[in-house]
Amino acid sequence: MKKALLVFSLLLLFVGCEKKKLHLVKTTAEIITIDSTFAENPAYKKLIAPYKNKMITEINTVISYAPKNINRYDGKLQSSLGNLLADLCYERANVIFKERTRKEIDFSMFNYGGIRASISKGTVTNKNPFELMPFENSLVVVELSGKKVAELVDYFIKNKSAHPLSKNIELLINTDKSYQLKINNQKFDLTENYFVLTSDYLQSGGDKMDFFKNPISLFKTDYKMRHAIIDEFKSLDTLRTSLDNRVILN
Amino acid sequence: MERRKFLHQTAAAAILTSVGGLTLPSFTKKKKHITILHTNDTHSRIEPFEASHHRHANKGGVARRATLVESIRKENANTLLLDAGDIFQGTPYFNYFGGELEFKLMSMLKYDVATIGNHDFDNSIEGLYKQLPNANFDFVSANYNFKNTVLDTHVKPYKIILKDGVKIGVFGLGIQLEALVDPKMYKETEYLDPLEIAQDMSRILKEEEHCDLVICLSHLGYFYKRNPTKISDLNLAKNTKNIDLIIGGHTHTFLPKPTIVRNSADKNMLVNQVGAYGINLGRVDFYFDENNNKSSEGTTILV
Repeated sequence: MKKALLVFSLLLLFVGCEKKKLHLVKTTAEIITIDSTFAENPAYKKLIAPYKNKMITEINTVISYAPKNINRYDGKLQSSLGNLLADLCYERANVIFKERTRKEIDFSMFNYGGIRASISKGTVTNKNPFELMPFENSLVVVELSGKKVAELVDYFIKNKSAHPLSKNIELLINTDKSYQLKINNQKFDLTENYFVLTSDYLQSGGDKMDFFKNPISLFKTDYKMRHAIIDEFKSLDTLRTSLDNRVILN
Repeated sequence: MERRKFLHQTAAAAILTSVGGLTLPSFTKKKKHITILHTNDTHSRIEPFEASHHRHANKGGVARRATLVESIRKENANTLLLDAGDIFQGTPYFNYFGGELEFKLMSMLKYDVATIGNHDFDNSIEGLYKQLPNANFDFVSANYNFKNTVLDTHVKPYKIILKDGVKIGVFGLGIQLEALVDPKMYKETEYLDPLEIAQDMSRILKEEEHCDLVICLSHLGYFYKRNPTKISDLNLAKNTKNIDLIIGGHTHTFLPKPTIVRNSADKNMLVNQVGAYGINLGRVDFYFDENNNKSSEGTTILV
């Protein structure tokens, strides 16, 4: 009798389960900060270890030397770090561009926000290029009309950020925001087309640099910015850079 | 008020069981408890931040997250672990190993589902595809159409998980990739309107699949103050119904606590985001009662 009752009640329970609806009656939510009060699970550390060791060896390899701190905020509308990066990308990409098109790049422009760290005085290791340029951006050359280059200059002046420009540029900005521009010692010509080096990120509309969109022609180097930085640093015993007259505020 | 009712019902159920004979369990309301744990924008932060870090000194670290997750799983076996995207990019671990270690660690942590963030395309869509064998968890995205890409059939719009008889539907939403990611990275990935897709998804999961719980993994961003009409988790929450929880990412928003939002059906739901870099773990506990009484629709959210 007792058994029959049990079977019956279990049956009832199952049938009941089928038809019963679940109702959400209470929700609690919180955000837990992970700090040193949580012990590290050794199994995870074990999985990480071989990757970490390989990475550390690679990263700590000394590739150059910085005689002073090099950062992106030591100048007005230019910086020692921005100048260094814009120039080395220009030099390295221009070799590729010249070889494949027999033309020369006129100048380079990147974005201030794209420089993610400074270089401290002392030894420069593989870590520095990763910190400077953690993104996988590649170098591209866009052919721009003079009108688009004028838009680029307007953006640069209005934006008031030290967006890196290469040494090919000589831009004198007056207090009334009018300007004189020379590119490779030639007066800027609105009717000319120019080859400008930038990153694929900026070319596709990043940082609202819309003048890079829909260029007359687009040349992809397939050379990552970080690789250009690593290759250049490796080729130099000492990193030399300074502020100069590529941008002058009157 | 609703909380009081809940406590009252619990007490009644407890008394019934204590007098209990054999027949009583079938009259007792069975309770179910689901725990959702979540991360977003972990950005290859495998180890804790250095002690010298200006903002996040000694915070984060996957091996510590494992300890926390395991202790919560011991507390409640019916736990899901989810991620809202941007697993890749941020430390040399990604640059050297392409996300291999990130996915292996997440598999070891037994992540259930993740969605795709814009930085997960940083080694191009092929770079993401190449790492999929290291991921023993599923990717969901309902508004990226991968039909003409290598990810076709590898990413589903949603996933349904059954835990302790509770049917949980998880769908994913990604951010517009144009002007954020180089087209040569995401290739032919087609971006579909996230709001329309979310309205569809929540209807499918609630009305057709009869899910008890609907969760959206979103990489749309929490809210854009300077562009308040731009689609974001808060806007999504207000303009949809039947979503119980939106787990967000992208904007690296360190919320002081999860946000309660009133949805389009005038019901409260939750939006949460836990900043970035694995510094925080989000925890949401859902408690269910089984009953046939339609009047007990009330639910309490405590944050």
